[in-house]
Amino acid sequence: MKKIDKKVADSYFREKTRNMIIYFAIGFLASFGVVFFAEPLSDITINGFPFHYFMGAQGAVLTFIILLFVNAKMGDAIDRKYGIDENKNEQISSGKVLDH
Amino acid sequence: MDTQFLVSLSIILATFALYIGIAIYNKAKETSEFYVAGRGVPPIFNGMAIGADWMSAASFIGMAGTIMLLGYDGLAYIMGWTGGYLLLTFLLAPQLRKYGRYTVPEFIGDRFDSHTARVIAALCTIIISFTYSIGQLSGSGVVIGRLFEIDAKLGTMIGVVLIAFYAAFGGMKGITWTQVAQYVILIIAYLIPVIFMALQLTGNPMPWISYGELVGKMGELDRELGISEYFAPFTNGTKWQFLALMFTLMAGTAGLPHVIVRFYTVSTMKAARWSGAWALLFIGLLYLSAPAYAAFSRFILMTQVAGSKITELPAWTKTWVDTGKLQVADGNGDGVLQWKELIISNDIVVMATPEIANLGMFVIGLVAAGAMAAALSTAGGLMIAISSAFAHDIFYRVLKPDSTEKTRLSVARWSIVIATLLAGVIALNPPGAITQIVAWAFALATGTFFPALVLGVWWKRSNSQGVIAGLLVGLGVTLAYIFAAKYGGFTILGIIDTGAGVFGATAAFAANIIVSLMTAAPSQKIQEEVMDLRYPEQMVYKDGEVWMNDDGSKSV
Repeated sequence: MKKIDKKVADSYFREKTRNMIIYFAIGFLASFGVVFFAEPLSDITINGFPFHYFMGAQGAVLTFIILLFVNAKMGDAIDRKYGIDENKNEQISSGKVLDH
Repeated sequence: MDTQFLVSLSIILATFALYIGIAIYNKAKETSEFYVAGRGVPPIFNGMAIGADWMSAASFIGMAGTIMLLGYDGLAYIMGWTGGYLLLTFLLAPQLRKYGRYTVPEFIGDRFDSHTARVIAALCTIIISFTYSIGQLSGSGVVIGRLFEIDAKLGTMIGVVLIAFYAAFGGMKGITWTQVAQYVILIIAYLIPVIFMALQLTGNPMPWISYGELVGKMGELDRELGISEYFAPFTNGTKWQFLALMFTLMAGTAGLPHVIVRFYTVSTMKAARWSGAWALLFIGLLYLSAPAYAAFSRFILMTQVAGSKITELPAWTKTWVDTGKLQVADGNGDGVLQWKELIISNDIVVMATPEIANLGMFVIGLVAAGAMAAALSTAGGLMIAISSAFAHDIFYRVLKPDSTEKTRLSVARWSIVIATLLAGVIALNPPGAITQIVAWAFALATGTFFPALVLGVWWKRSNSQGVIAGLLVGLGVTLAYIFAAKYGGFTILGIIDTGAGVFGATAAFAANIIVSLMTAAPSQKIQEEVMDLRYPEQMVYKDGEVWMNDDGSKSV
């Protein structure tokens, strides 16, 4: 066990939190944002759909799926940047859980 | 007995044999296998299991029909039930996995160091999961009953016995691999009819790309008929109801104990993150197809059924009129069925589609097997959640902490059997419409677990008094709003009972924060455990510092 500089530990948490806030903002706009402005947006047509309908039926869901995969990938990248080794995570995790 | 019956029966029996075989092969021998499948499920398979666990009879049978009837307003279900995975995967799943317990009440009990909170959380789990399972059991009864032309009640009992057997036997380990198989069957059964309909109507085998033009065309047809356009927003409720329902479904998704538990079955935080992504991809396949289903069915009904002579309706209409789910009364007596004279129930759209589009016996049987898979997989997950709340959180952690592993496993197995039978008895005469019961379960999860878990993970100052106040206030406000809106006609901004979670969650957050600040902070140890959830397994928060566990040693 060696101590990590407080700044490094804080910046790990800050990077992850910042990304999460960005993902939430995008997801919020794609769902709640479009619903809120559904009437004015309905004049735009995309692939035969009125825009608000397209976002509700397909656009928002696709956005969510992409955000989750981006989050998983980016999370791995951040872990790598801070020298986290998934194999060690597994070892530690299996020893630390409360299996009773 | 006709050929159709035999074809459907053999497909269903083959899938049942598969599920039972998997459960026997993966029999749980230890408590960690029974509750969390030994914590070694790979993320991609866990994603499928989450998908099957999550997508219930309501999703499979009811959702396309709901969207067909409600138009744009039905899309709140699509966005709400998928968007919840953002909240779950970002805010809760990896952190709860790192905490490393068996159940949601166990997290709440240990994180807040309070048996009172543990028992309240266990009771909330039982209430929510039990309510939800009644809908699944009566759904599976409808499918079995219609297929075998027996009473739906007898169908329900067949479903109950099957679920009780394989859930009690296999535990979480058996359920996980059964759910993987059930996901594959239900998604194939859902996609085949919609792909064939897309080919028939648009000449394009990709329904997701090709149904847009039909939506536009239906808008024109609606205008000619003088009714509001299919895609016109907020025709069935206010914009605020739409937003409140969407929020309730999202936060409820993130607070459903039987879904959260699935994230305990993987090995690390990273695996939890990937599970969430795979899960939504697999769920998205069905949720992206449901509005296409709705559009195709409505288009066929509008153009091929409405406007034809009453005496010359297609043959499939007769069987469904007999079930009472379809009405084709010639109201104005002109001998022609008008669009407005056609009344269709939302839960026959998916089940009737293979007949409407003339897809043949094999597909009809497959759709029935898919609907059964959806109902059984969700019911199995719910039964594990109920059993663990009772056998693990109440019996073992509070009542008999010195009981042996053997006793605990047998208590867990018996509580599954009893809970299934009890839910089955209530499902024989369900207390309300299935979709409504399900919506209430979501409102309750939004008002109770969502605030308790978010604050428990992200705010170290939240303490036991706060979480108890939050759970009780959230439960009370949600129930009060449901009853006031449903029976008292009381609404705020047009938000009806299904959107009640938005008020429950607000009240619960406020109660938790205010009471926590008014009482003493949690112990240093608990606060450090909460800080520790910010970092991956290898980083450890201890004594106000973060440590790197480089040698992977287990003693931390």
